[in-house]
Amino acid sequence: MSDSSRADTAAPVKCRQCDRPLTQPLVCDFCHALNPIAAGKDYYSLLGLPRQFDVDVEQLRAKFVALSRHAHPDFHSGESAEVKELSLQMSSAINDAYRTLRDPASRAGYLLELLGGRSSAQDKSVLEGFLGTMMMLQEEIADAKAAGDQPQQARLRGVLLIQQEGLMKRIGSLFTQYQEAVGCEAVRRQLLDELRKQINAVSYVRKLLTQLE
Amino acid sequence: MSDPAPIIGIDLGTTYSLAAYMTPGGPVVLRDEAGHALVPSVVAFLEAGIVVGSEARAHAVENPLTTVYSVKRLMGKDVGDLHEDLKFLPYGVVSFNQMACVQIGRRLVTPQELSAIILREVKTRAEAALGQPVSRAVITVPAYFDDAQRQATRDAGRIAGLEVERIVNEPTAAALAYGLDRKQDALIAVYDFGGGTFDVSILRVSDGVFQVLSTDGDTHLGGDDLDRELIELITSEIRAKFGASLEFPPSTRQALRNFAEAAKIRLSDRAEARLQVDLGGDRVFDRLITRDEFERRAAKWVDHTIEHAAAALKAAGVSVQQVDEVVMAGGCTRIPLVRRRVQEFFGRVPYTAINPDEVVAMGAAVQAGILAGMQRDTLLLDVIPLSLGIETMGGAMGKLIMRNSTIPCQANETFTTYLDGQTSVDIHVLQGERELARDCRSLGRFQLSGIPPMPAGMPRIEVNFLVDANGILNVSARELRSGKEASVQITPAHGLTRDEVQRMVKESYAHAVADLTAHRLIDLRNEAHRVLAAIDKARREAPSALDAGQQAALGEAVADLKARMDGQDPDALSLAMRKANEAAMPLTQQLMDEVLRKTAVGKKLDEY
Repeated sequence: MSDSSRADTAAPVKCRQCDRPLTQPLVCDFCHALNPIAAGKDYYSLLGLPRQFDVDVEQLRAKFVALSRHAHPDFHSGESAEVKELSLQMSSAINDAYRTLRDPASRAGYLLELLGGRSSAQDKSVLEGFLGTMMMLQEEIADAKAAGDQPQQARLRGVLLIQQEGLMKRIGSLFTQYQEAVGCEAVRRQLLDELRKQINAVSYVRKLLTQLE
Repeated sequence: MSDPAPIIGIDLGTTYSLAAYMTPGGPVVLRDEAGHALVPSVVAFLEAGIVVGSEARAHAVENPLTTVYSVKRLMGKDVGDLHEDLKFLPYGVVSFNQMACVQIGRRLVTPQELSAIILREVKTRAEAALGQPVSRAVITVPAYFDDAQRQATRDAGRIAGLEVERIVNEPTAAALAYGLDRKQDALIAVYDFGGGTFDVSILRVSDGVFQVLSTDGDTHLGGDDLDRELIELITSEIRAKFGASLEFPPSTRQALRNFAEAAKIRLSDRAEARLQVDLGGDRVFDRLITRDEFERRAAKWVDHTIEHAAAALKAAGVSVQQVDEVVMAGGCTRIPLVRRRVQEFFGRVPYTAINPDEVVAMGAAVQAGILAGMQRDTLLLDVIPLSLGIETMGGAMGKLIMRNSTIPCQANETFTTYLDGQTSVDIHVLQGERELARDCRSLGRFQLSGIPPMPAGMPRIEVNFLVDANGILNVSARELRSGKEASVQITPAHGLTRDEVQRMVKESYAHAVADLTAHRLIDLRNEAHRVLAAIDKARREAPSALDAGQQAALGEAVADLKARMDGQDPDALSLAMRKANEAAMPLTQQLMDEVLRKTAVGKKLDEY
């Protein structure tokens, strides 16, 4: 299974207004008309970015802003109901895409599912020993809060942030390994499984962090 | 392609409303011939008819039961949400179809209709100032307004005969009004403390892009609360002095409210304000209120606003040090205590260059300009302030769209049936951050029908929740197996149905004042009566304040004004009024001191 970042259509799609081939899914380069999002378009192709974990956040924002300038309902106020509807759909898709890809953890979860990995609902497992650590930390947080111990809470927060950082590094490395393991389905399966566990772990850590805010 | 009629920006405020429009040189506030922009958000039902604005407010003490103010506090709400307010409102508020409505005599009037009356007045004045009809508007709402409150505002616009092109958040509008000159990247905090609502928004502004990162606030916190602190102070001291069981009838409460509001405003400029309340029967309550006393009572409210500011920063993921600029909007930002605390918290002097009463309307005009295609370089990305979701099994709130998500945004959820052949499904939509459905705000019951009959559990009903650029929810549904579009019937929890709004639109057209000139003339004549009465009273109270020359000039101006009042020319009348006020200026300046007098001439407060 290839993970090409190009559009997976047979023939190039044409702009519905000027009939020229579309180089990107939403807005025609020539006439700037809004074109309906083809079914199955993922967030990466919507924003015109390669399908990978490492994302240049500045570039992501630039693409998001550029597309919004065309798609946002504010710029289609005087047009037909059809165009207004298109603009609404498109803006929400672009906003959802930006929100998901901007945060490394949600990006990781999204990319994992795109690559065929299981969703968090389907697989809630984590690496061995992790839950035990989390439960201990949970108790320590509860104790620190009950005692009103601010310095301790700050320390625990620091610990959790380091955990999160470590997990995100591991996740990044796993995605890189996935990209390099071309054709090795067995290896890829394993990598996706571990990715699922690591991403689940990040969710736990984040839940605990919210208690310390 | 573009419609020649301009889109105006309207700030529909708790205390004042006003309009502005966009020009190539920037937003311009619309004023009447006297130069006034602000229309008090007050509606009075008199025997002669309905009056709006300053005229309505002038009637408040005499007609407390039929003069409605702070309507904005009632929008999108039911009586159960308003217990604190009801203690202070002299007019009757009752629940009808789960909506708080105002009782005027036998009639029940919805907040939407009342707001529509105010909007219609703003519209009329805008048309007079622009010299052309106005049918399209952008109307502002507090950022923290929920779906029901936004819908109510939009409905009010429709009933007033306006095409509401956009509902825009007040802090965002303020940022737009200030941001025109900024080209560099900046993190801006907008602190908007109005008559009835408080919002704080954190925005990132860069290269024409206004991106709201987060918003926080309280739609039930404003200048009215500060007035109430003073009212409570006065009433408790009056009771202590003249009898604990002293009751305050509606007209008294209204007069006290006027005193409190005036004192609050006075204390922004002076260290003390003097109150003299005549309670009848030789009982006079004479009290010097100091700024310190006021600040001590106001402190807790201002503290709340700072808490919200801290919460907004946290939600945006930025520290207070990262904020580059603090922008203020709303009348309460004139209060020295407020400015001090804001400056303390943000560690910088807030930007107050634009009149805090006008900045929101100006921002609405900028948004109107964007919609009209005047400003292709400005991109506004706002957010939904409160999470949206549905009630799930066990009474929990299942969030589908998180608060502070950039709008437009959407979420999908799939439902099925639990009975064989079931053709409709009900969902309960909620807004809020709490875990339990009952602690969140109900937006209403949505009935999805037209589902093809199938065995229980078979249908796959995909419901799409789309929040549009107004921050208002749109729901659509489709049964996936058959591909059939389901019809969505909404029973709003605290609002009007489509049909009800249609009916009100028709009714208001029937009652609309046809002749613009006649309306203006009536308003101006009434105002002229008051001006003459005030000048007369001033002359009696200070007979030797003017020298011979000034007396003659004043006499002439008064005679001219009286003559114009009988005429048919509103412009001449307006000019004559201005001249009379100018001639009386030396006289009124003499009389201005710390003492605040009752508004109605010769009226004593009722006693028990």
